[in-house]
Amino acid sequence: MSVIEIKNLVKIYNGSAVQVTAVNGVDLTIEEGEFTAIVGPSGSGKTTLLNMIGGLDSPTSGTIVVDNTDLSTLNKKQLVDYRLHNIGFVFQAYNLIPVLTAKENVSFIMELQGTKKDILTQRTKNILENVGLGDRLNSRPNQLSGGQQQRVAVARALASKPKFVIADEPTANLDSKSTENLLDIMEELNRKENITFIFSTHDQRVVKKARRVIVLEDGKIVKDERRK
Amino acid sequence: MKDIIKIAWRNLWRNKRRTLITASSIFFALFFAIFMRSFQLGTYGYMIEQSIESYTGYLQIQNPDYFDDPTIDNSFNISDEMIDRVKNHENIKAVAPRVETFALASTGTNSKGVMVSGIDPVAEAEVSNPEHRVVKYRFTEEAIKQLKNDNALPPEINKKIETFKYNSYSSTAKIELDLDFENSDAEKYIPVIEKYCRFESNYLSPNDDGVLIADRLSRYLKISVGDSLILMGQGYHGVSAAGIYPVRGIIKMASPDLDNKIIYMSLPQINNFLGLNNQITSMVINLRDKDEMFETQNELKKIIGNDKYVVKNWEEISPTLKQQIQSDNVSGQVFIFILYVIVFFGIFGTVIMMVAERKREFGVMVAIGMKRKKLSMILSAEMLFLSILGVLAGIIVTIPVLLYGHYYPLELTGNMARMMEDMGFDPIMPLALFEPYFFMQILIVFIMIILACLVPVRSIQKLDAIKAIHA
Ligand SMILES: Nc1ncnc2c1ncn2[C@@H]1O[C@H](COP(=O)(O)OP(=O)(O)OP(=O)(O)O)[C@@H](O)[C@H]1O
Ligand SMILES: [Mg+2]
Repeated sequence: MSVIEIKNLVKIYNGSAVQVTAVNGVDLTIEEGEFTAIVGPSGSGKTTLLNMIGGLDSPTSGTIVVDNTDLSTLNKKQLVDYRLHNIGFVFQAYNLIPVLTAKENVSFIMELQGTKKDILTQRTKNILENVGLGDRLNSRPNQLSGGQQQRVAVARALASKPKFVIADEPTANLDSKSTENLLDIMEELNRKENITFIFSTHDQRVVKKARRVIVLEDGKIVKDERRK
Repeated sequence: MKDIIKIAWRNLWRNKRRTLITASSIFFALFFAIFMRSFQLGTYGYMIEQSIESYTGYLQIQNPDYFDDPTIDNSFNISDEMIDRVKNHENIKAVAPRVETFALASTGTNSKGVMVSGIDPVAEAEVSNPEHRVVKYRFTEEAIKQLKNDNALPPEINKKIETFKYNSYSSTAKIELDLDFENSDAEKYIPVIEKYCRFESNYLSPNDDGVLIADRLSRYLKISVGDSLILMGQGYHGVSAAGIYPVRGIIKMASPDLDNKIIYMSLPQINNFLGLNNQITSMVINLRDKDEMFETQNELKKIIGNDKYVVKNWEEISPTLKQQIQSDNVSGQVFIFILYVIVFFGIFGTVIMMVAERKREFGVMVAIGMKRKKLSMILSAEMLFLSILGVLAGIIVTIPVLLYGHYYPLELTGNMARMMEDMGFDPIMPLALFEPYFFMQILIVFIMIILACLVPVRSIQKLDAIKAIHA
């Protein structure tokens, strides 16, 4: 079953001096449970594509249909709700609310969704244990390493039970050990819980772990490879 | 809601130093604003009390024509029944009838235009209480000489007394102040001064045929208790008025102006003098609650209910005092305004920095599905906490200061004190208690916070999540 269906997606930035076509006619279908890496040189349109899928940015033309909903039919407010209930986000940095503990950061998003208190508490604990932070529930972000922070971010992204998780260069600020660790956790969640991940990266070691690799160049998909 | 408060509260302590600096600027602004206002309002209240209660009264009932043409031809009769109705109003403390006119006072060698005020000596005690201003001590030439001859006081005190030659006092407290006495000095020397400088002077009896004369006026006319005074003027409807009156007492008036011109006479006597038939020129009214003056004035208008009388308040009767207070008031408010403008920009800067610093964080929060409204509420709650912190500290510190300053007014000394004395006021500056101004300052702080939040809240509404995250 496909979660995301993208047809002829184009994004043109109208800069003051030049027009930049960041995404130039992308057709793409993401199936449930896929573990997809989007790679390509800097400026190839990875972030732009992910932002549009995430409902953070709107395409110039083309359609994105997520679970039978065409994103272009949603207004700004509906988009906020769409993101809250359908997508888990992991950004490169500044993912967490600094004044909240790991536990609170994870449960916060469920509170926004209106999850019941007892379910929320249990789920928060489980997810943080799943990312290997069962013993750091009450630590604030500044008491955690960069890798641990990104794991909390993954936990938070999963907490809302999203249809898929978008991660734009989640390992860009991590050392190789933390990178590997984070990817292992993501992969495990993908395998065990069938969570759909789409992430962009420059890192060859990260690419190696992906089961589908999409290569972008100048806003176009030049290669789409599935591995076992 | 709970998480908004939780996040806001913790955010407040992310940058402890900034929070404390901003909160203390709010604290200081509030403290100074309240303290200053309190001083001003306390002093005004006191000045009004002193000058209004010592002569004019808060309200006066007059003949409608009297205000523009204050002559005894515009006097009026008021029935006892009407007086009772006025007295029955709950905010009215006391009323006293008066006849005021101008006359020429003469001793044979000196003469001067004076104001003759006919009073009911008993009723007046409840309104302006002239009796407690009757002069009891005077540094006369003879008294000073006697003190020296008897070596009753140390020479330096004699010297000091010399500088206050001819001064009159209605209480020893003012003597102590003029002579800069410490408590121990006062205990030693005041009894001596009392003995040598006592001055025999009386108040008027209800039907008295004599007069009281103001201190400075008495010195100008070189007249004292027991001497006689000739008064000449115009009586009711043009009859000529003249009489010779013994001086019963000297009275030290609060206001220098009055001290130079007033002569008190009993009502029966002024009736004789002017050929009146129990008409009066004003009914002077003192109030229990002076803050209710305007309401009471309007209610009295209804009670009196016809166009034979008007009710005037002190602001209409003595516009100069009103203006003096107003101009001082304006300068005080300008000062506070400047203070608040400075603090406002401090607060404003804090919010702007808070938003700028956390733009990425806000971007992420919006991206993961936090409504902008909620984000704005967090930011506003932070500012609210910040101001509550400052305001609370301000209130906690101000309350005892105000209470103390109200019940133990600042006593002025030296030249300031003498200046106030000369203007007819006791040299004290009391603080006003918790009048509306107090709550006004608190309200202003909160309004400032709301204003300071407007811009950042707007910028959150317009926040571009992508740009914020990738900034
Ligand atoms: N807001 C914008 N305004 C104008 N041009 C933009 C904007 N955002 C991106 N672009 C341009 O669009 C193109 C694609 O950018 P994008 O950020 O998607 O690339 P990327 O593949 O994520 O690169 P990187 O690997 O460096 O993150 C680039 O040429 C970029 O300059
Ligand atoms: Mg990018």
